[in-house]
Amino acid sequence: MRALSLTLFGITLASADPLTFNTTPLGQKDRPIILRTYVPDPGLDPAVLSNHGEASKSPKYSPNSGRDVGGEYRMMKVIPAAIAVNHGPALSYVWDTTECRLLYSWQGGFLDLYPYWGEENRGGRRSFDYSARLVGNLFYMAQPIKREKPAFIGYDLSDQGVPTFHYKLGDTKYAETILPNDRQYSFVINQDSKKSTIKGKLISKHQGFDRNLKIKSATAKAGQQVFGAYGCVACHSADGSKGHGPSLKNLAGSTRPIEGNDPVLADAAYLTESIKNPNAKTAQGYPPGYMPPYQLKDKEIESLVLYIQSLAK
Amino acid sequence: MKHALLLILLSTPLLTASYKVEDIKFPPGVPPEVGGIDFAPDGTLFAVLRRGDVMRARPATDPTNWKWELFATGFHNGCGIDAVSHDKVRVTQMADFTEATDTNNDGIADQYRIFAAGWGLSGNYHETNAIAEDGKGGYYIAIGTASHNGPTAEHTLGEYSKFGRRGRNFASVKWRGCTLYCDPNGKLSPFCFGFRMHNGIHQDSAGNLWCGDNQGDWRATTPLYHLEKGNFYGHPSALVWDERWPEDKDPLHTYREDLEAYNKHRTWPSVQIPHREMNRSAGEPFEIPKNFPHFPGQMLLPDNNSKRITRIMLEKVNGKFQGACTHFLDGGGLRSGNHRIRFSSDQQKLYVGQTVRGWGKEAEGLQRITPNGKEPFDITAFNITPRGFKITFNRELERDLAEKDLKFKSFTYQSKWTYGSPQENTTNNKVQSVKHLSAKTVEVKLDRFKPGRVYQLDLKELKSKDGDEIQNRLFYYTANQLP
Repeated sequence: MRALSLTLFGITLASADPLTFNTTPLGQKDRPIILRTYVPDPGLDPAVLSNHGEASKSPKYSPNSGRDVGGEYRMMKVIPAAIAVNHGPALSYVWDTTECRLLYSWQGGFLDLYPYWGEENRGGRRSFDYSARLVGNLFYMAQPIKREKPAFIGYDLSDQGVPTFHYKLGDTKYAETILPNDRQYSFVINQDSKKSTIKGKLISKHQGFDRNLKIKSATAKAGQQVFGAYGCVACHSADGSKGHGPSLKNLAGSTRPIEGNDPVLADAAYLTESIKNPNAKTAQGYPPGYMPPYQLKDKEIESLVLYIQSLAK
Repeated sequence: MKHALLLILLSTPLLTASYKVEDIKFPPGVPPEVGGIDFAPDGTLFAVLRRGDVMRARPATDPTNWKWELFATGFHNGCGIDAVSHDKVRVTQMADFTEATDTNNDGIADQYRIFAAGWGLSGNYHETNAIAEDGKGGYYIAIGTASHNGPTAEHTLGEYSKFGRRGRNFASVKWRGCTLYCDPNGKLSPFCFGFRMHNGIHQDSAGNLWCGDNQGDWRATTPLYHLEKGNFYGHPSALVWDERWPEDKDPLHTYREDLEAYNKHRTWPSVQIPHREMNRSAGEPFEIPKNFPHFPGQMLLPDNNSKRITRIMLEKVNGKFQGACTHFLDGGGLRSGNHRIRFSSDQQKLYVGQTVRGWGKEAEGLQRITPNGKEPFDITAFNITPRGFKITFNRELERDLAEKDLKFKSFTYQSKWTYGSPQENTTNNKVQSVKHLSAKTVEVKLDRFKPGRVYQLDLKELKSKDGDEIQNRLFYYTANQLP
């Protein structure tokens, strides 16, 4: 949780907050966070990555014998040198320093770094599967363009931490800023002060890395595990504090004002619906389309509901 | 085994009493995975953490009360940092060497510029990079290899080589497994070749360049290398990025089949450091500055995989460096994960940056080591002679040494494709004579004394004239050459 106030713990931080052990960090709409990591290639046209090297499968090798042992190492679908930016649920995007352009964007979450960063006390990386996972709804992917090989210069951050990327094509310098707007599957791109609005459409839904929690029977305690494992706390606090989404404290059993509709009772049915199909009803005061639908197992959802109910006692 | 255990029991409390080891706390909740540390000229300590943040603080006496500020963010596994000033850092992250500057003095970097780029990144998790300043505005950059415990991406940063991809640790993209020179304008050129994972690189006060490496494939044991332009340091994969190597030749296969040619081509380590006994995984070598109260001018080599730091005594023989190693610190509150070293500006304190995240058991953080009082009683110089060694203690001995007080044996190592290599051709080297040159210095003549071997010294219990037990009783000297 990026907005975690670390001053509470007695050690003073004079400036913005650093990353924590949370593997699903989230920025804010007007104050993004920037991560350099191995981001997934969600199925880009290979021609979009034309300035990259092309790897190939390689024979499996035994360090003991110094010989090949049959079979091949497979490759991973990641972009090696890209920059990932997140404006909270409003917009995430990947801008690549090799192709010097926006590669793709999504809404509803950011990245799940669990396969790469691992857990706080173990730090285990998933050996051939450590690509960060997308969280949210992918709605835009770059198409191939014909242009000379670009050269990345760097980026500047505004006072709010919004990056403007700089690159060169030949001797000509370019600057590019990407911003969220208030619409679903849409964002604004400023290229050398020329502003355009890009509208995409839903391509695919992502909910981070499957934690494969083995829950035998639904309990509130298991629900707390699910809550931690999927990084729900990035948007929903358990203690009443404000976030991107409503706090879970005293939520169960309360009457919820709904955007453009009658209030509803937050019973088990409502809580279940809000996890499985979060955009069916939008809680008042929160933007629509922010929360990605989570395809959790029944026992996980039942446990989450019990956990949320336990926070209302 | 019993003997080894006894040695540890006897020596550990002595080693540790000489130093105070303190844990420098980062703010709670901040993963203290220290990729690199450096002091700015104004004394501010900068630490780049591996998830991406650069933190800075003025060192405080109380290790739990440092006023950390977040200075910059968004680096991918930064493992080399130069704190250029209070407002500017340069960081080697996985893909490039980026400069981050606070241009408007609000405490947060707002301008990120590529300082140097051009090495490749395959998408493998293992490809971290470290730097050494050359003192003239330029750098040497250690470009780490990939591991076969992880894949490459389909689309790589930079040119891909299928021969470079071969093997356990591999160099499938440009300049992996090489050391680069980076001029003050950020222009890169290959400097030397053939590293497995030189996690740390250092230029000493005389301008010599040093790195360690990690025991493993083509690394019989933990080495300390003296780096010179154009040389090949023994890990074959990186040869695909050496223009002199034929394009159609698989270096791994070539040297797998011809160790004799391999041994001729490679530059041997200046010091071979027994892996289990001394140092399992070398971090950044670092010369002890002249005003540090203990062992000034000697070299430290942190162990990334044990709670210890190795002390190295170097000398030049026939124009080439070689020397001896023992423990500087073994336990005493030191964490594992040791890989970066900086001394405070007054040279009285030593800071050690630690991380292993994603490799072994978690060992993350920053520690400060302060000497307690005078230099512990120990061997302070270990020099080779045509017939054996001249050994100098830092204090007068309680009694004259006899032949039976010093036990020598020697062995060889052959680096090859296997993950580490055993000690081979072990010979006991009987002590023929011990001659006292002074109250602190003895000359030892050995039976069957030959070059090309690592000599192990086991010392009997020994006291100084002023009553202190000797700190270390196990030493290894790498005799590449005889004078």
